[in-house]
Amino acid sequence: MTETVSQQGVRDAPTTGKFEARVRWLVRHFRKEWQIYVLMAPMIIWFLLFLYKPMYGLQIAFKDFSIFRGIEGSPWIGLEHFQTLLGNDQFFRAVGNTFIIAFLSLAFAFPVPIILALMFNEIHHRIFKKMAQTIVYLPHFISVVIIAGIVINMFSPSTGVVNNVMGMLGLEQVYFLVQPEWFRPIFIGSNIWKEAGFESIIYLAAIAGVSPTLYESARVDGATRWQMMWRITLPSIFPTIVIMFIIRVGNLVDVGFEYILLLYQPATYQTGDVINTFIYRQGLQGAQYDMAAAAGLFNAVVALVLVTAANALSRRVSRTSLW
Amino acid sequence: MRMLRVSLAALMAAGIGLAAPAYAEDEYRVVDDPLTLDIHFHFRDRLVYNNDWPVEKRAAELTGVQLNNVASLATTNSQEAFNLMIVSGDLPDIVAGNRLKDSFNQYGLEGAFVPLNDLIEEHAPNIKAFFDERPQLRSAISAADGNMYFIPYVPDGKYGRAYFIRYDWLDKLGLDVPQNVDEVYEVLTAFRTQDPNGNGKQDEVPYFARQWEELIRLVTLWDARSSGSDTYHDFYVEDDQIRHGYVEESYREGIKNLAQWYAEGLIDAEIFTRGPRSREHLLSNNLGGMTHDWFASTSSYNVSLADTVEGLSFRAFAPPASVEGRRLAEHRRIPVRPDGWAITIANENPVETIKYFDFWFTEMGSRLSNFGVEGVHYDIIDGVPIYKPEILDGSAPVNAQMWEIGAQIPRGFPQDYGYEIQWTNEIALEGIDLYEQGDYLTDIFLGVAFSEDEQRVYDKRWSSIMTYMLEMQQAWILGSRDVEADWDDYLGQLDRMGFNEVVEVMQAAYDRQYQN
Repeated sequence: MTETVSQQGVRDAPTTGKFEARVRWLVRHFRKEWQIYVLMAPMIIWFLLFLYKPMYGLQIAFKDFSIFRGIEGSPWIGLEHFQTLLGNDQFFRAVGNTFIIAFLSLAFAFPVPIILALMFNEIHHRIFKKMAQTIVYLPHFISVVIIAGIVINMFSPSTGVVNNVMGMLGLEQVYFLVQPEWFRPIFIGSNIWKEAGFESIIYLAAIAGVSPTLYESARVDGATRWQMMWRITLPSIFPTIVIMFIIRVGNLVDVGFEYILLLYQPATYQTGDVINTFIYRQGLQGAQYDMAAAAGLFNAVVALVLVTAANALSRRVSRTSLW
Repeated sequence: MRMLRVSLAALMAAGIGLAAPAYAEDEYRVVDDPLTLDIHFHFRDRLVYNNDWPVEKRAAELTGVQLNNVASLATTNSQEAFNLMIVSGDLPDIVAGNRLKDSFNQYGLEGAFVPLNDLIEEHAPNIKAFFDERPQLRSAISAADGNMYFIPYVPDGKYGRAYFIRYDWLDKLGLDVPQNVDEVYEVLTAFRTQDPNGNGKQDEVPYFARQWEELIRLVTLWDARSSGSDTYHDFYVEDDQIRHGYVEESYREGIKNLAQWYAEGLIDAEIFTRGPRSREHLLSNNLGGMTHDWFASTSSYNVSLADTVEGLSFRAFAPPASVEGRRLAEHRRIPVRPDGWAITIANENPVETIKYFDFWFTEMGSRLSNFGVEGVHYDIIDGVPIYKPEILDGSAPVNAQMWEIGAQIPRGFPQDYGYEIQWTNEIALEGIDLYEQGDYLTDIFLGVAFSEDEQRVYDKRWSSIMTYMLEMQQAWILGSRDVEADWDDYLGQLDRMGFNEVVEVMQAAYDRQYQN
């Protein structure tokens, strides 16, 4: 390897002296740091195999794709699938719903794990702390199918806990799961219940990394616990919060699609149908992979714009950014 | 002991085989030298073809053709297994499975499967005779070019779902079995208000259904149609015209009334979310009054819940007369399944393969595929195959036992209803008899095979139209919108979404397919 490179370098020497220097630097660099690259390798291979290679298949968004003819053999049809999508009111509704659900989740669900982590940090009774943590982590490990079953039962008008309590308070019973206006609160609320605990782990880790000397000196200065939380803990974990926020924005359009699929009904499409469920109904159930790929590509472009914007914003506002 | 008896029977069967004259064994022989064909057979999302099934072994003995399964159970989705096999481009000799009609026809036209018309004509006298007698079925499974690309699984028996009601509740309240839509309304109202389960609470659920679409089925009581096939929300055919129930005046009337029934609590308030176990739940808790469901499985609750619910008598009743006096059983079994098997272009022995397919349409082959191996699983009594008692009294249902031996699987063969009747319970048989006498069935729409251009129109339009129709349907039933006020806008919106275009391509495909 080294030999070929340097041979080539020698041959091209008169014109590309700079290039040769660069190659030499690279060779030296690899010799010195190869362990780090070995450590990186699995991740890079994973990316190439599962994220870059499938991009080849994206071209079916512009083809009349048949799985028998294959990607090569299917004829190009230009932007027809995109025209079909953009001419469909339901697609726009799905885009709208995706954004609304995503932003509401961001507004309501994003702060919860941070608050939870701060609260856990203030618990000093060890057994109580461990128990509380386990209880809030637990729903994360339950399959989404079961979660949907639990939610459907909880909100059932005849046997559901929620309606029973409402009945006791003298309120009228509501068939929540077919009311469009209740779909988003139920979806986002139950998602918070399911994920907030687990997501708080990363903030707890960040809090654990805050230097104890800061607290000690604050205590010497007579700071209250409330002040320490506001003035030390929160600013210290702020970079973590920002990074999590950007990642979250990048995944914004990937609202929990399986979960919506399990919860929604034609009656709640109006508020619950998102891009991914639209793709599922339109594309996968009807085996229109080409159309589904077009919608998926659209989804990805939106996500790219969002994450770029969030990154730029955070670089300007907080000087923390992903890149 | 049971093992001994089975192996004894096998020995006897083998003995008979040896003693019988040679030509009888050779009658079904397809090849002189044994031939092994690879088959991709992944079906019902959980089973693959098994080279050791008794039925396969017996068929190999008789025909000389042995099948070797290449499908893997690594995936539990049959459609996915099929797609992966097609994508890989590595085609076996035979592909089989359920719900593959559209795939067979589409990829057949693209060149993955061999067109079978000429092969059947020349080499498959039994298949030819079978479809010559049933030209409708041949049309129904043909592709847009008029060719058959697969040999289908042809179910037998006509009756599927029926109206069921609590006869014991009717007795208790002194009511008769409802004969028309008004009486249904009265009965359901009585179920709701007069506490037929006698627990002092108004917790009865007068009409319920495992699939909420069975609520929409009730629009037939106002002379509308909910579906013309065993797929929900499908088109139907009247006088060779393709129509869709959901744009007709009678549907508007039906939905208006159902919305009122729903508001009055005559219909399960949770019908849209209660899910597939609702029948069991509502019957075992003595809550449900009436439903529309399958004969056999629904009747069986009379037996299985006899101890739990005292006096339970949940039996079929004839379809109530509609406003115009029509009694219609809209649901029936589909006369030809979108299941079966096809010959791929990779197959080097298409003639032998079609001869082998033909074997399953002979009396011998059809019996083997319906009942298993003679002397082991059934005996001929008075000329009719009758299951051995150990099969009928087995711990698993008879159909599940048949799957275990390779019978009653979706290969291309004609099913014999005689197989099912032997283990259908009395109450179900009574109900079927009732429906048989009344002759309530109507013809079923068997679907069309689109040309590529037609397919494109359908793909582009239909899924959005369907979404819109169902959204409005549920909103109307739940009372969040008013069908009377929305109707004209609804029709206008469907028009804008290209509803008429879809009907046109359906009609064109239908005319091409069924009228020559």
